[in-house]
Amino acid sequence: MAKPKIAFFKFSSCAGCQLSVLNIEPVLLDVLGAIDIRYFVMAKRENHEGPYDIGFVEGAVTSPKELLELKKIREECSVLVAMGTCACFGGLPSIKNYSGFSQKELEEKVYTELWDLKSFPAYGIDYYVKVDYYLRGCAIDLGELVTLIKSALKGIHPRFRFHSVCNECKMKENVCLFLTKGKPCMGSVTAAGCGALCPSLNRPCEGCRGPASDCNAASLARSFVEDLGLSKADVVRKFRKYAGNTPEFSKGAEAV
Amino acid sequence: MTDRRIYVDYIARTEGDGAIDIVIGPNGELKKARWEVWEPPRFFEAFLIGRKAEEVPEIVQRICGICPHAHHIAAVRAVERAMGVKVSEQTVLLRELLHYADWIMSHALHVYCLAAPDFLGYESVIAMAGNPDLLPVVGKALELKRLGNDLIVLLSGHEIQNRTSVVGGFTAVPAKSDLEKIKERLKAAKDFAFETVKLAAKLASQPPYPDLVRKCEHVALHDVRKYAINDGRLVSTEGLDVPDWEYPVWIIEKHVPACNCKHAIIKGRDSFLVGPLARVNNNFDQLSADAKKAAEEVGFKVPCFNPFMSIVARAIELVHSLDACVTLIDWIGEPKFEEPTFEYKAGESYAVTEAARGICCHGGRIDKDGVVQKWDIVAPTARNVYNLEKDFQEFVPKLLHLSDEELTLKCEIMIRNYDPCQSCATHSLKVRLHRER
Repeated sequence: MAKPKIAFFKFSSCAGCQLSVLNIEPVLLDVLGAIDIRYFVMAKRENHEGPYDIGFVEGAVTSPKELLELKKIREECSVLVAMGTCACFGGLPSIKNYSGFSQKELEEKVYTELWDLKSFPAYGIDYYVKVDYYLRGCAIDLGELVTLIKSALKGIHPRFRFHSVCNECKMKENVCLFLTKGKPCMGSVTAAGCGALCPSLNRPCEGCRGPASDCNAASLARSFVEDLGLSKADVVRKFRKYAGNTPEFSKGAEAV
Repeated sequence: MTDRRIYVDYIARTEGDGAIDIVIGPNGELKKARWEVWEPPRFFEAFLIGRKAEEVPEIVQRICGICPHAHHIAAVRAVERAMGVKVSEQTVLLRELLHYADWIMSHALHVYCLAAPDFLGYESVIAMAGNPDLLPVVGKALELKRLGNDLIVLLSGHEIQNRTSVVGGFTAVPAKSDLEKIKERLKAAKDFAFETVKLAAKLASQPPYPDLVRKCEHVALHDVRKYAINDGRLVSTEGLDVPDWEYPVWIIEKHVPACNCKHAIIKGRDSFLVGPLARVNNNFDQLSADAKKAAEEVGFKVPCFNPFMSIVARAIELVHSLDACVTLIDWIGEPKFEEPTFEYKAGESYAVTEAARGICCHGGRIDKDGVVQKWDIVAPTARNVYNLEKDFQEFVPKLLHLSDEELTLKCEIMIRNYDPCQSCATHSLKVRLHRER
């Protein structure tokens, strides 16, 4: 079997998910031997035009230049993967969409040379093109990245979990931060796959992996206010952070 | 006679999207020398307004995937200063350990994966690994990078974005037995770090690099008691010596005529350099004994104003970081869990840390309910843009005899000397750079 041609692209983001590709050190040389990286500017000086078998896109789309590139990338890649929460849902850059400031006001607050600034609300890449697989998380989970690459090599679908973080938390036998410690944990509405990383470290889930399937964000939002005494503004901030663009988390933000 | 143009539209092996544009006139005069940052803006400073103080360190660490801890710790300290939050000695030590672990990861990544291929004539570390002679070195480099990552994960839960460090302390602390295990690995890695210093010195001693010296002001954090990483005064090779929270007064941005970007200068003076070379120049005495020994062995002397020696300074810091982590683990002993606590209080303050690639500044104003009113971020790469352009002006005329291909590579190396992260730079540069078509 020919080695799959792989490309990594970066839009508005921190490059942390691309760096994650280099953070699988124990298996990195094996992975590099099994795939043909054709485009990865952060790691390589020689990069090649498409087509590619698999394209990984990191980052939210926030400019006309990125949008044009994304459309070209979609045409060039047989399989397109949204890599990380920014590419999946808009991520932290999407906070600006709900900041209460207009794009014009945002620009004036940060920049002085406004004539050349071209930026629009931040969305995940599936707002514009079809996406085949999603690697959620800020940053992505290395286990899921390796699972995806292995699946691609075997020609099978990767098995990702979309139940809530609560399930993984229970399997780790953690004390519930919400029920016993009264902390505003978003684990019950957030997709698993991280191994309940934050709650296992005594930190409430912040929802960085986006909504779990069939989540009831509105109910959790009301509970934050009624049971934990959070202000409405606090609840809105929680749901409009990593995945505020999603219909599920929007329901949470709008429920209070 | 026509102009000669060196243009690279997307600089490889750096973090983020940047370009080089150099125009050389018919008589060898430099008409233009620019480093253009094309990263799309993300508006962190704008959307942080209205967020809660405790969210700031969580959010700003996501500015950069390579130096998240530098952003995080600068922000957490600025928030704590603004609200008058006191943290324990253990928290201070754990934060330092976390940041040194980040340096080990970042320096190993830069020296072997981003910089070494230039000097060895490979397009990437992937290509280097294809050479059976180099494969063992690449393997060891990845092991060293993994060691940094393992320590980061042990302290913060995740390689890239920390999960445990918050305003007031840590939500969870590692077990002593795990720290002891990693301490043995840190000690065992020293030999390879020494080898790295030797390799870096060898690479940087090839012509024409030793001749490319340009004196400029080198700025770093400084602490008389220890090598400064998370705290200290802002000092320079030209005599700057001020508290770190005064950075907004001393580091200013100047609009330069005929250029669309603002340039960072030291008040009343000119461009400056930040990063490992600046740190080693300002803080050589505070390096660990073995780091000093490694420097001596390869004949590295301070002050050094050759930017191509940055790779050597980085390798020397690798030796130092391993030593510093061992010492910190001994000082920390048995970590005790302390519930992080704080109360909202109105205030304004600023703080500086040393990212692997130079000073990283955060600060702002918080109201009595803990809501952010203003937040200022100045990342290291933004500091270095103007200084790099001065490197171009100085060095490109000395390299005109090279072919376009060679000269382009040399210009790329000049940029990679700074180990830039352009994602960081963008939002804080307050610049838009114009590409001439």
